[in-house]
This record gives sequence, C-alpha cells and structure tokens, in this order.
Amino acid sequence: MESLFFYLFAALAVVCGILMVANPFSRNPVTSAMFMVLTMISLAGVFVLLHAYFLAAVQILVYAGAVMVLFLFVIMLLNLKEEEKRKPGWVRMGFGLVSAGLFAALLLRSVAAARNAPLETAAATVDGGVKPLGLLLFTEYPLPFEIMSILLLVGMVGVVVLSKKELK
Amino acid sequence: MNYGELLKLLAPESILALTLLLVLGADATFLSGRAPGLRRAVAASLTVAGCMGAIYWIFFFPIHGHLFSGVLVVDPLTQVTKQVLLLLTAATALLTLETAFTPHVGEYFGLQLLATLGFLFMVSSEDILTIFVALELASLSLYMLASFAKGNLASAEAGLKYFLYGGLASAFLLFGFSLLYGLTGETLLAKIAAKITTTPRDPLLVVAISMVLTGLGFKIAAVPFQLWAPDVYEGAPTPSAALIASGSKLASFFLLEKMMTIGLSSAVGSGAFHALAAGWVPMLAMLAGLSLIVGNLTALAQTSVKRLLAYSAIAHAGYALLGVIANSSQGFVALLFYVMTYGFTVLGAFGVVAVVERQTGSDRLEAFAGLSRRSPVLAGVLFVCLLSLAGIPPLAGFFGKFYLFAAILRAGAPSLGILWLVILAIALSAVSLFYYLQVLKQAFVREAPLELPFSVKPSTQLVLILLALCVILFGCAPDLLVSKLLLALKAAAPGLVF
Amino acid sequence: MESYLSIPHLLAVAGDEKIFGWVTPFVWYSAIKVLVAVGLMLTMVAYTVWVERRVSAFIQDRIGPNRVGIFGLLQPLADGVKSFLKEDFVPGHVRKVFFWIAPGIMLLPGLLSIAVIPFGSKLGEQDMVIANLNVGLLYTFGITSLSVYGIVLAGYASNSKYPFLGGIRASAQMISYEISMGLSVIPILLIVGDLNLGNIVAYQGGSLWGWFIFKAPLSFVIFAAAAFAETNRLPFDMPEAENELVAGYNVEYSSIKFALFFMGEYASMIAVSAMMATLFFGGWTLPFFGLDQPATTWLGGLLHIAIFLAKTCAWIFLMVWIRWMWPRFRFDQLMDLGWRRFIPLALANIVITAVVLWLKA
Repeated sequence: MESLFFYLFAALAVVCGILMVANPFSRNPVTSAMFMVLTMISLAGVFVLLHAYFLAAVQILVYAGAVMVLFLFVIMLLNLKEEEKRKPGWVRMGFGLVSAGLFAALLLRSVAAARNAPLETAAATVDGGVKPLGLLLFTEYPLPFEIMSILLLVGMVGVVVLSKKELK
Repeated sequence: MNYGELLKLLAPESILALTLLLVLGADATFLSGRAPGLRRAVAASLTVAGCMGAIYWIFFFPIHGHLFSGVLVVDPLTQVTKQVLLLLTAATALLTLETAFTPHVGEYFGLQLLATLGFLFMVSSEDILTIFVALELASLSLYMLASFAKGNLASAEAGLKYFLYGGLASAFLLFGFSLLYGLTGETLLAKIAAKITTTPRDPLLVVAISMVLTGLGFKIAAVPFQLWAPDVYEGAPTPSAALIASGSKLASFFLLEKMMTIGLSSAVGSGAFHALAAGWVPMLAMLAGLSLIVGNLTALAQTSVKRLLAYSAIAHAGYALLGVIANSSQGFVALLFYVMTYGFTVLGAFGVVAVVERQTGSDRLEAFAGLSRRSPVLAGVLFVCLLSLAGIPPLAGFFGKFYLFAAILRAGAPSLGILWLVILAIALSAVSLFYYLQVLKQAFVREAPLELPFSVKPSTQLVLILLALCVILFGCAPDLLVSKLLLALKAAAPGLVF
Repeated sequence: MESYLSIPHLLAVAGDEKIFGWVTPFVWYSAIKVLVAVGLMLTMVAYTVWVERRVSAFIQDRIGPNRVGIFGLLQPLADGVKSFLKEDFVPGHVRKVFFWIAPGIMLLPGLLSIAVIPFGSKLGEQDMVIANLNVGLLYTFGITSLSVYGIVLAGYASNSKYPFLGGIRASAQMISYEISMGLSVIPILLIVGDLNLGNIVAYQGGSLWGWFIFKAPLSFVIFAAAAFAETNRLPFDMPEAENELVAGYNVEYSSIKFALFFMGEYASMIAVSAMMATLFFGGWTLPFFGLDQPATTWLGGLLHIAIFLAKTCAWIFLMVWIRWMWPRFRFDQLMDLGWRRFIPLALANIVITAVVLWLKA
C-alpha cells in the first residue's frame, strides 16, 4: 500500500516537474507555475510517507501556499506572453545531450547496482514530528538556524534595493 | 549545549553582524538625505572598523574549540583564514569609495559585510548542512552585489546570469549533499568519511561526488562551470567583482579542500595518467587541466581588462586546484598561500581598474594607455600585481605556483604520474605572461591622446600601495605567511603528517 | 476466459487479503466519516446562503426569499436547480483550461480543511475527527493557503480587466493576512505545546476561562480579522467589491461555474468558523455538566457534535451579521492594517506570551 502511494506521488512529481519545464502543449508561464505547485504537493505526499509530517505541512504551507502564489502574482503583473520556441544550436544540443547521457548512465548504473545489492541507506534517526525537529534545531543545529536568519536578512535587503524605484 | 560558548566562539562573526546593523541603521537614520560622498565615507569607515575589530578580536583572544562535534570549528587555521578574509573585505570597502554607482550606500556596504559573514561561516564549519546554508548566504549576497548598479544593463545581466547559474549550481550541490547524507546518514564531514570506507565504492557515491564538484566548481569558476565568470566580472560594479574574485575564491577553495580531504578522504582515487582510479582526484585533475587551457587561451583574445581578469581568474582556479589534488598538508598550505596572495593581487588589479574606469569611462585596453604618466602610483601597482599574477619572481605569485607544483609533485612521488598536469600548468603559465604584458604595454609604452593626470583618492592610493607591498613582501619572504599557515595547520590537525 | 470474469470469481478475488487487505474497519469508518462530514458541510453551505439572504433582508427591513417551502427553506434547492439548468456561457476571450479548473479548485480547500477538525468527542468507539494529525493546525493553514489559487486562476483565466484586478487584489490580500493569521495562533501553540487540534480542544476544557478567547484575547482579535480577510468577507471583500469591480474575479462566470465559486466562498467561511470554534471557543466542550470530558454514551457523543455545530453556526451568523452592518475598507487601508498593525501586534503577542510562560515555568 505504502509503496503504491510512493510510486504514485513520485511519478506525479516527476511528470509534473517535466511538464513544468518542457510542456509540449503549452508554453504559458502560468501553466508552468501550476505544474510546479502540483510538484510541490506531490513532494509533500512523499514526505508524509516518510513520516515527516511537519515537513509535509510546511511544504504545502510555504511553497504551494505562499511562494508559488507570489510567483503567479508576479507572472500576472508582468503579463508575460507565451514563451517563444527557440532552436538551440547543434553544438549546445550536442554537449547537453552528451553530459545528460553520461549522467543518466551513471544514475542507471547506481540503480542497477542497488537492484543487485540493496543499498545500505541510513535509517531515519528522528521522528518527523514538531517536537523532535525543534529539539534538534535548538540543541544540535542552532548555528545553521541562526545563519538562516541572516540569510533572510540578505533577501530582505536585496529585494528592497533591487525593486525600489529610483527617485529622480 | 551551551549558547554562551557558541557566542564566545562566534565573537568575530557577531562583531561583523553588529557592524552590519550599524551600517544599515546609520545610513537609514541620521545619514539619510546627506551627500552621497559623506554617506560612503561613514559606511566605509564603519565597515573597515568592524573588520578590523574582528581581526583584533581573533588576534588577542585566540580561543579554539569544536562545537556540536564539528558544526562549528574554530581552530588556528580557520582563524588565520578568517583574518585574511576580513582584510580582503576591508580593502574592498575602501576601494568602493572610488566608485559612485549607487545611491543605496548603506545597503551596498551592508551586503559586502553579509557576504563576508557568509565566507566566515563557510570557513568555520565541517557540517554539510551548515556549509550549504553559509554558502547560500555568501552567494545570495554576491548576486545582489553583482546586480547593484541598477541603471546599468550590464550589471543587471551580470546579476541575473550569476543568480541563474548559481541557483543551478546550488541545486546540484544540495543534491550531492543529500545523496551523501542518504548514503551515510551523517551530516558531519568526518563521520561521512568514516561511513564511506565501510561500504564498497558504489556508483551513487560517484554521482554524489560529481554533483558536489559541480556545485563547488561553479563557486571557484573552474571549467566547464565558468560560463558566468566573464560576464559577471565585466558587468558587475568593480568592487563587487573584486570581492567575488578575492574573498569568495578564498572561502570557496578552503571549503573545497575541507570537503575533499576530510569528507571524501576515503574516495580519493588517482589522477596519474598511467594509474587512473575513480575518486575525486581524477575529476578535479580534469577540471584543473580544462581550466588552465580554456582560461589562459581565451584570455589572449580579450580587449576588456575586467574580462581578461575573469579569464585569468579561471586559469588561476586551475592552478589552485593543483593544491587540492595534492591531497596533503603541504598541498593545503600551498593552496592557502596561493589563494590568499592571489586575493591581494587581484584586489590590487581591480582597484586600478576601478580608478581607470571612473576616469575614462571604460575598461578597454586602450583606456590604460599612458597610465604610467597619468598616475605613476597606479601604474606601479598594476605592474606589481599583473607580474605577480603571471608568476614572475620575486613576487608572491611565483612562490605560490612554486609551492603548488612542489606539493603536487611530492604528493605524487615517487611515480610522478601527475607530472602531465604540472607540465601543462608551467607551459600555460608562460602563455599567460603574454596577455598580462599586453596590459602593461598599454600602461607603460603607449601614449594616451590626452594625458591628464588621474585624481586618485588618498584612501585608494593607500590601499593599493599596501596591497602591492603585501604582494612584494610575500614574494620576497614567503616564509612569513607559509610558516604561520604550517603552524596553524599543525595545531588544527595534528594527525596530518608532513 | 468466462470463468475469470464470472461474478463468483470476482467476489473471491475481492475477498482476497492481498488485493483488498487494506480495507480494514479503519478505512470503513473513515469513509463514513468523510461522507457524513462532506454531506453536512455541503448542506450547511446551501443553508448558509439562505441564512445570509434572510438575515440581510431582515437587517434591511425586507422580507427575503420566503416562497419556496416554509420560510423559503427549499430556496437553496431551487437555486441549485436554477444554476444547473442555466446556460453555461463561456466567453470567447477566456483561457479555456484555467477557466474550467478554477471553480473546482475554489471548492476544494474548504472541504479538505475540515478533515482534521475534531467535530465531536466520541461516538461509540470512534473519535469524531476524520484524521487525527499531529500537525493538524499546520495542515489547516496549509490547505487554507491553497484557496487563493481558485481566485487567482479565475482572474487570470477570465482575461479581462475587472476579474484580473479582483484576482490580483485577492492574492495580495490573502497572502498578507495569512501571515498575521499564522502568527496569531503561535501563542496558543506555546501555551498548549502541541499542534494537534484534539489536544488544543482538550486543553480548553475545565472552565470557561480556559477558552482561548479569554486566555489569548489578542490572538483572537487578530485571528478573527484575518479570518474575515481570508474568506473575502466584508469589511475586507476587496476581491469582489461590486461597486469597484462589478463582481471581481467571477465576472465572466455563469451558471454552475459561478455557483461553484459561490459555494467555495461559503465552504471556506464554514471551515474558518469551525476553526474559530475549535481554537478559541473550546471546540466540542462546554465547561458545564461534565461536557468537557469525552462522551461515553451515544447521546453524549451526539450532544458534543451538536455543541460544536452550534458554536460554528454562531460564528457563521456573526460573519453574516457583520457583512450587512459594516462598510468596506479601502484597499490601501486593508494592506496597512495587515502589514503595519496586525503583524507587529502578532509578533509582540508571541514575545509577550513566551516571556510570561518563561516566568511561570
């Protein structure tokens, strides 16, 4: 049952991810944004299967509910037109295909290797609830937590500067 | 768990953060509406004071310790590196006085401080979670700094390009880190290394390493992840480009070295041409070789000095990678010496470019014509810096390269399998002399149509002269810095054998 | 071949543990709870519309719909039939796909968010909550935050000025007030120490003063205001301010699609009222006659559900009442109130609560 749901959510996330960047039917930015929302929601589903409930809820609350709404907001305000199709040059296509192919081969090999000998992945050490997460953040990882707050300050300062109209 | 101890160990960073708030606050309150020159002067002096305060703190209160078993590492080596990083930022702040591209003075200096905070955190952590967050802090600040000249399309392009490529690189890095975490269940570098030895080398590890290298390769601008560098160096405001070229390079290389030698110490491999073995060394050797070739050869064709410096930065990333590839304590010291002196040198070069650009409105080669007569000081500084970049004795650049070659050869001994890379590096070093001399030829031989003397701010002159003196000093007496670094490394990691 | 498709064989397969092993009693009970809750919710939506029309008429000294059935009680049915039978007109200039999915998205969040709200104590052995989530509160906020998509997409898909402005206003307003709404309940989390809505309700049992409206009055005020803004009700109904935007984001819609928007709004209004009852008014508990303990009898269980519904309905009534009594804010006033008043207030509220709790500990 659980693995069925995993495959469902994983497939949904991958398919929506692909449709987000390379949708053969529509090159409308709003469509892409909506597929990104679906990707986020599918990922939240995967988090639930991993018992990371807090992360799942926050994923929906922050990414699907706030970040993507802002994306849509900006896209609508800018009134973006349909993306034009561009033909990439042969050299670029070649390089891209070669490196993507190599990477895919590597990934496939690791999948094949895992099929023969199941990977020894580390078991979850922490329950995904709010309390263990909070404890971990404030006992073992207060430093990254504090750095995050400075990171948000950077974002704030930067956005104010970059988006402020220059008064002449 | 003790928050007091955390605060004590993070005192320099705290000083910097307070300075940052002070700079932002002062500019927003009692300086708002004043003349931009005054605001720049106040902000710059606050920034320099903050950096100097942090340096003094480190100097007079040399406390060391590991917190949370490696999330925060404060040892002599990180402290020395932090001092150099702070010096680089202070010098950049003073050079910023020479430019007048933005009315948002407080924010500009604030972002420089924020980027520096990011560098400091990058240096002082051995935990992939913290490393990633610190790296993002530094990167995000640098993206902003690159696009800060809002009226300038090139700056916007630089910022956007840097941001897009950087975002992609961060995604790769995060994917690599998450694979490492998935394989080992640890976030601390040392523990990751311990876990990796127990499992047989599996392809997923190779994926993880290549993703981490993609992410970090972007930060150090190694080929083939260098595409952003020329446009960013050219389009970004000159002080931003200087910070990207100096401080960011130093912090990123320190991080790369730690990531590879501690976190992936059990997946080294070999880059010797007759005994290639999978691991990070052959990957880095390839990046180094490509960077050397592409950087040096493309620099030959440049007419914009900032672009030329960008390609030379790519080439220098190739040289510096030799230190990482050596995978020894000697290599670590050589790398640090090289990147630190490179930081001073490139900052000096960018300082000269900033002045020339402000006075002539261009950074083309022709703009440098007659520099030796228009401003002998600038020409002298440019002379020292470019020759050091080319690796001419007795300047710091020469000894940097010398130590790097010695370290990698000693590490590869007795088989000398990695010799191919060293030969390539030396050969291309000779090529690089050509394009540095092109600039110097303009400055010293060509005549400008209008040879008015340049007006250079005293602060700029002071900084540039100090930087040039540093380059000469570390060239004539490299042992001053090297012995300090060696001692620090010994104290930081007594287990490493020399 | 036939034997595989024969009914006895299919039944045998269906009874096989491997295929339908997951249909445990838990699944059955959950399915029943979901059906009942959604059915009740949709009925309430229909009658909230009726209540709104009657109350507004009463306030404006009119009569309101009183012809279909006694007191006009069958009016919602008539409305439903009417909107189904009307021509579903799709203007030529709209973006078809989004135009079709927007009304559907609109109705979903309201229905989904009741999944974690405990609407009673116990009925027999069963907890009267569909999903007893540890992160229940976060879940409701997450789902509520999705409700903006319906409006935004409708505004975008309509491809004309008024709906577009309505959509833009809606997204700006809902994002802004989501923040103060989220911040306003943090003091409650600090006091209870849990995100599970069932535990939050249990904590409020005991005495009337245990209700969070008395324990965290500032939270209540901010949450209430944000709730009005989130549901686009007056005094914050900018997205469809009819004298400015005709009808806002749903100008181009007609027939059943319009009805879906209408229902979506009322569904989210009911969901918010249920949250309000749960968070600030003790949920299904009453501090008298031992009604704050989980029920042991069926009668007690039904009584608890009734108490919860009564509290919810009281809030719905209040929201309707306010709509017809208050004027509308201006958009800049709305934003100013959200960002410059409520958010700092909510932050101060958190800090004060934390300090008080720290001093008490």
